Amino acid sequence: MKADRREEVILKLTEIFRDVLDHPDLVLTDDLTADQVDGWDSLSHINLLVAIERAFKIKFATREVTSLKNAGALIDLVVAKTEGAH
Amino acid sequence: MLFAALALVFYRLCPARYRAVVLLLLSYIFYCTWSLEAAVWLAGVTLLTFFGARLAANPESLEGEPSKHGKWLFLILAVLLAGYLFFFKLAAIAAVPGVGRIALPLGLSYYTFKLISYVLDCHWGKIEPETRIVSFASYVAFFPQLMGGPIQRAESYLPQLPPVRLAVAEGLPRIVWGLFKKIAVADQLGLTVNYVYANMRSLHGAQLLAGFLLFPLQLYADFSGLTDIAIGLGLLLGIRGPENFNRPFTASTITEFWRRWHMTLTGWLGDYVFTPLRMATRNAGTASVVFSITVNTVAIGLWHGFTWGYLVFGLVHSAYLVTEALTWKVRARFFRKNPNLDGWGSRLGAVMVFFLAMIAFVFFRAVHVSDAAWGLVHVWDGLGSVSTDLGVLIRAVSLRPLVIGLIGFACIEIGERFRPDIWMRKLYATWPGWAQEMFGATTMTLLVAAVYLLLLSNPGPDRPFIYEAF
Repeated sequence: MKADRREEVILKLTEIFRDVLDHPDLVLTDDLTADQVDGWDSLSHINLLVAIERAFKIKFATREVTSLKNAGALIDLVVAKTEGAH
Repeated sequence: MLFAALALVFYRLCPARYRAVVLLLLSYIFYCTWSLEAAVWLAGVTLLTFFGARLAANPESLEGEPSKHGKWLFLILAVLLAGYLFFFKLAAIAAVPGVGRIALPLGLSYYTFKLISYVLDCHWGKIEPETRIVSFASYVAFFPQLMGGPIQRAESYLPQLPPVRLAVAEGLPRIVWGLFKKIAVADQLGLTVNYVYANMRSLHGAQLLAGFLLFPLQLYADFSGLTDIAIGLGLLLGIRGPENFNRPFTASTITEFWRRWHMTLTGWLGDYVFTPLRMATRNAGTASVVFSITVNTVAIGLWHGFTWGYLVFGLVHSAYLVTEALTWKVRARFFRKNPNLDGWGSRLGAVMVFFLAMIAFVFFRAVHVSDAAWGLVHVWDGLGSVSTDLGVLIRAVSLRPLVIGLIGFACIEIGERFRPDIWMRKLYATWPGWAQEMFGATTMTLLVAAVYLLLLSNPGPDRPFIYEAF
């Protein structure tokens, strides 16, 4: 059940990543980092977060987003933040 | 250098468990030789931060988040540290009533940035406040990084204590590489650069352009050389420091240039200035982007000192970065549709980035903003007399150091592209420890001899590193 929900979040996040970073073929994996994706820098990172906040109706705190190590950590954070909604 | 050599011998003989204490003592001896008063300031601000962070942390922070009360204390501490930095930066340019001008404490910009990042990392719960005061004080005062960085984070430095493995075979060649950059390149090119900037208003177009083109090369050799020496010394002491440069002149955008130039400063400002500002204003759209980038680049400029030149340097880069931020999607789509142009785009981009960075560096280097503006306008003068003008310049500064500097710079670019040190390390990684050290020491001796021969053949006044001043 929990794995299903994580998959759901990954699907939705992939769409957001593809749209914001302008990469139609991007595949979101747990160990994906900003260094591996053209255009994923500190500037577009916040654009991503804003889009994620809107799509999932959640709010990130600065302390949460400064310690994200890879896409997997972001996925986990979104899963944790949307837990109450399910 | 003599201090470092003696310190290293003593350090090597010392058992690993006492090395943190020795590191602290060495750092303070080094600092006291510069100024006893500044050492007292350094000790005071270190103690304030250490005990302030301990006070702000509470037992709950070990299990969950720090209490609201503690979070505020961390923020107050960060503001106090920023105030400390501002006070000395202002006191260096304007007299303090009743005291006069105060000399900038050595390494002020570097150690206060370390302290602020430590406090904010504690505030955000990224790290726990340090409990070992000796380790913490040695982090703040770590002498190889005090003069010119790199700005290492507490989370990367503290776990390395006590230093066990002293990477001599890696550290020694790194120091020599830094000395080569400084003596064989920066100081040689510096002769022409200093001449051009000192006599700007009496020079012509091509002469000005020569000085402007050479300054980024000199600055890179000088600053990255200082960083190499700091990283190399750190390795000898068993502390691995962060890299500060990654071949900046290969960048094809200004955004990429800043990811490759003075990386520990831009990384620091990105984490503690840009991201918090962007997060706080994230729903303001384009205005948030422009605002956050401008504050960030102005902070980069003013970090070097509170002068108009550094401010304009920051603003020029802000104009570049805002333009890139607002156009990146269009550019990305263009190159996706025309993949055959991508390689050419990168090459053309690298040339453009060099010239754009050069323009900003004119404001960084010139004594007055008006001189920089005058020079940039008059760079087009005398297009018909380029060879005569360059001949006059070369006669004034002499050709030899210029040629040595340019060949040396080519060596830097080739060396950093092909990294012979990496394959050399792979080659001798299988050797026993003593053989590796013998190899390192022999390489060092030969290279030092080569560098000193070069130095002896080019005697000149003592030329400090440019980034020592910050």
